[in-house]
Amino acid sequence: MENEDWIYTEIVKEHFLHPKNFLMGDESKFKYDAVGQVGNPICGDQMRMYIKVKDDKITDIRWKTYGCASAIASTSALSELAKGKTLDEALKIGAKEIDDYLGKLPKHKFHCSVLGHEALADAIAKYREKK
Amino acid sequence: MVYLDYAATSPMLPEVLDAMHKAERKYFANASALHTPGHLAFNEIEHTRELLAELIGAKPTEIIFTSGASESNNTVIRTFAGHKIETSQIEHHSIIELAKKVSGKKMPKLYSYMLANNEIGEILDLKKIVEKAKKEPIPKSSELFEPVSEWGKPLVTDRRGGYVHSDLTQVLGKIPIDVYKLGLDYATFSAHKIGGPIGVGALYIKEGVPFSPLIIGGNQENKRRGGTYNTVGIIGFGAALEKIKQEKSWGKYDTRVRELRDELAKRILKEIPGSSLNTDLKPGKSLPNILNVSFEAAEGESIQLYLDAEGIIVSTGSACASGDIKPSHVLMAKTGDAEVAHSSIRFSFGLESTKEDIDKTMAVLPGIIDRLQKISTVKMRKK
Repeated sequence: MENEDWIYTEIVKEHFLHPKNFLMGDESKFKYDAVGQVGNPICGDQMRMYIKVKDDKITDIRWKTYGCASAIASTSALSELAKGKTLDEALKIGAKEIDDYLGKLPKHKFHCSVLGHEALADAIAKYREKK
Repeated sequence: MVYLDYAATSPMLPEVLDAMHKAERKYFANASALHTPGHLAFNEIEHTRELLAELIGAKPTEIIFTSGASESNNTVIRTFAGHKIETSQIEHHSIIELAKKVSGKKMPKLYSYMLANNEIGEILDLKKIVEKAKKEPIPKSSELFEPVSEWGKPLVTDRRGGYVHSDLTQVLGKIPIDVYKLGLDYATFSAHKIGGPIGVGALYIKEGVPFSPLIIGGNQENKRRGGTYNTVGIIGFGAALEKIKQEKSWGKYDTRVRELRDELAKRILKEIPGSSLNTDLKPGKSLPNILNVSFEAAEGESIQLYLDAEGIIVSTGSACASGDIKPSHVLMAKTGDAEVAHSSIRFSFGLESTKEDIDKTMAVLPGIIDRLQKISTVKMRKK
């Protein structure tokens, strides 16, 4: 709908309609150093996060999801926030930071923004295990 | 905007808006009052009552007006508090949740089964339920049968071991209804599913069956439902019923609306990989205006909102949409598969729906699904 009041803020809408850094199709298209995953489709939400790391910094990031609009928008936002950060800095990006960045998700959708963060934390843990 | 969520609520008909606007000025008086304006308002309410009675094959005295289907459902379930209550998993929450809370072990027993389901549109066979209710042994005594002693409690002349209630909210106007032929003792109706206003419903209570009012107060509705009559709302309901009657709407649903629905189903199956129907399209198996589809590996709420962004309005049985964590209880009961439920979209049509609505939907839906499937963590079973 044109610019009628949508249920989400403009920035959520932008990240939902034009999500950043998502991985289209086959995951072999992206050379990653570690992948993390949370949730499952039975619960209606699954998130997978792929990271490329150099000198302890996230140089590139991709994600895939079976999830709702808020999960898509918040993970898109997280992927932008995490790029270029050190692993420790990236781990500090919590649901609140994402929520602030997006200009507030509807209250009952807040839990959706946690998914991306958890998937990223899982990817970082896997990367550190590997090292 | 392409509106395909008629099963949730339907836009108010122009006739309804006109009737209600007029009523606000003309019939403002309290319909219980003995003066002329009160009488005139009361007559309008009775006109709606007669119309509904005629459309469902009941007597006007067997109908009371309520604030909507949830109240009608609650009223029947509460009447049987402490008694055995049997319902199915696919009923409306206003039946399931209250039945869980108040059902007991006493007889007679209440059976509450809908005739058609609101999410997948499935038409159910009530005959078996009615037969089962008939076989229940009649208790020698029951507080439900006792002579009138409480407010609004009618004389029970029809003493049985089992009574049947059906939520006919989705059915009114879509297929012909005859409550006597269906063998029902109670039936629930709502105005806003047929182009009437939200906040008005009705309850059919067969003469002589047990009843106790939910709202105890004034003498309204023959002491069966207290509270000042919602004259304007009831007049709006009447205007919508008038339209159903004049147009014989069930005929149009069976032809024009069915054709639209079936065409959308056909095109989805043909043009969208991983799509499957949750609605059985065979005539007699489902309401002709409801189509429920699952799209493999694509999450329902995202589909709904990408469609919304394109001005196409549908509903989903997926969890997140309602702020609940569980997916649709109806789809879970029907498919037993949470992923199918989370990936489901319901398209529901009204008499105003057009072929153009289908074309506009299909201009964007395949692309939306394709994108969601490509970014999905769930792998498609087949391509």
